[in-house]
Amino acid sequence: MTAVGAPAGPARWHGAGLGTQLWVLTARVLRAYLLDPRLLVANMLGPLLMLTMFSQMLGSLARAPGFPAGVRYVDFLVPALLITSAMQQAFGSAVGLTLEMRDGIVARLRAMPLWPGSVLLARSLADLVRGGLQLLLILVLAALVFGFRPPGGPAGALAAGALALAVGCCLGWIFVALACWIRNAELVQSVAGLLTFPMIFASNAFVPVGGLPGWLRAVVRVNPATYGIEAARDLVLGVATPGGVAIALAVSAAVGITAAAVAVRGFQRRP
Amino acid sequence: MTAVGDLAIETAGVGRRFGAVHALRDVTLSVPRGTVLGLLGHNGAGKSTLVNILATLCPPTSGTARVAGFDTVRQGRQVRRRIALTGQFAALDERISGRDNLLLVARLLGAGPRAARRHAAERLEMFDLTAAADRVVRTYSGGMRRRLDLAASTLGDPEVLFLDEPTTGLDPAARITTWRIVEHLAREGTTVVLSTQYLEEADRLADTICVLASGRIVATGPPAELKARVGGRVATARLPSAAAVTAVMRALLEQGLGPEYDPGRGVLAVPVAGPRDLANVARVLDVHVADAYELSVTSPTLDDVYLSLTQQPAAPPRAAVR
Ligand SMILES: Nc1ncnc2c1ncn2[C@@H]1O[C@H](COP(=O)(O)OP(=O)(O)OP(=O)(O)O)[C@@H](O)[C@H]1O
Ligand SMILES: [Mg+2]
Repeated sequence: MTAVGAPAGPARWHGAGLGTQLWVLTARVLRAYLLDPRLLVANMLGPLLMLTMFSQMLGSLARAPGFPAGVRYVDFLVPALLITSAMQQAFGSAVGLTLEMRDGIVARLRAMPLWPGSVLLARSLADLVRGGLQLLLILVLAALVFGFRPPGGPAGALAAGALALAVGCCLGWIFVALACWIRNAELVQSVAGLLTFPMIFASNAFVPVGGLPGWLRAVVRVNPATYGIEAARDLVLGVATPGGVAIALAVSAAVGITAAAVAVRGFQRRP
Repeated sequence: MTAVGDLAIETAGVGRRFGAVHALRDVTLSVPRGTVLGLLGHNGAGKSTLVNILATLCPPTSGTARVAGFDTVRQGRQVRRRIALTGQFAALDERISGRDNLLLVARLLGAGPRAARRHAAERLEMFDLTAAADRVVRTYSGGMRRRLDLAASTLGDPEVLFLDEPTTGLDPAARITTWRIVEHLAREGTTVVLSTQYLEEADRLADTICVLASGRIVATGPPAELKARVGGRVATARLPSAAAVTAVMRALLEQGLGPEYDPGRGVLAVPVAGPRDLANVARVLDVHVADAYELSVTSPTLDDVYLSLTQQPAAPPRAAVR
């Protein structure tokens, strides 16, 4: 090792502004994906697998009674996949956050003069970028391989994608909040998994609500994901109303803001 | 600058409980600006807990602490602006390069992109990491990580630098470089709080040593004072037989030394103040002991400090653990 050289003079910086904090912290998460694209590939694979499985397995549902007439199953399925995939972006990143909080870089960031929310928000922004990429992939593959022909046209499909990103990003804060309070990666993984299951399956994602037993229908109604899926589906099918989209956004924003506040409090809480 | 003037750290009755565990009890200390405080203690003594409280990462359950003139609980942000922490476990982003880690920290501290590049390059040079600078940190060795972690903490020239066991796991060369860096920072006026399990390290770097045992301060003072309380070096001779012991003891006492003989182990121990005493011990042994013998000199260790200060074993004996 070399001897101590003359330093470039005292630095005396006074902490970055919020914009710089967010930019630098988001770039760090994204850079990790560029350096190890396996992470990205593994992330993309899940929803593509779901697309393949569900479109093949449940395709005959389109002929079941109660299924909206004249709608093909793949057109029914893709908007739901957009929402559930966007939501699950935060799942993996919440587990990563737990690990980093224990002895990773986040331990250092917490002793620095930062707005505590910026570490969390930056992760969310990075998820948004990753999620956007994933949704695009789903749409392209669905169109090329599985005969996805949205009655709402490409514009409807893209609008559904954008809505899915917004809804998924908001609902994803539930996982971030879990990570900030539980602080144990394995436990976060299990609890988040337990929560994801009903959020995805006790919804209108894969089957029409009409065919469900009454008690399950009630669960579907309180599941915030349901509203996002409904609005995204209407956009894809070309029957969207501004009201439906507004409700979807309002419900997920309410959940997201509440969860984010809980998350930041948990993040600030010292061990 | 602030009301406390020349004190970088001031604590009053700081305690911390984790459930039933008292990790820290009634710690009261003050550290003048620009000095180095060594926190000495075994595993579980409370070193990390104290460092984390001072670095605002963990609130005390009793008492108050001020760092750089600000309360660590109520004015955490003010404190965080003036400190840097190298925790016991390297706090780095494993998935990006060493250089990117330093750039990240510099930018978050408020450096512009160009200043950040310059400072990052300079720190990489200083900590001998230039060759590995653009490799992902996951591929670094343990010692390289610690060096990078330390490098990140020196960015932004903190007023108070906390180093929790900064040389644990470093090779001897890296350890000496770390010591030089700490000495350099101290000369430049940085207040350093450094925890360690090595008396030698605290002795070399610290202006004041604070010995922690079971969460309490059991001694505070300059290294020389502390060592004087513990006793100096001891020459130890393992004698092959007890034949010459009486003659050896008498000769040593005549030299003004204070030998002690343990018949069970056949070991003779003689406190020595310097090379002259040691030479005298060697001469006496040469004259009186016919067979081969082993002679070694031991410095007081942390165990000796503990034993003399707490009168309790510092760690459970291995047999009891098994
Ligand atoms: N988060 C925690 N929850 C429960 N107990 C804790 C926690 N952190 C520390 N302790 C306990 O507090 C005591 C002091 O721990 P601390 O980490 O401060 O010791 P240390 O001197 O840094 O030890 P080491 O040399 O092993 O790093 C230990 O008994 C430890 O088990
Ligand atoms: Mg420790």
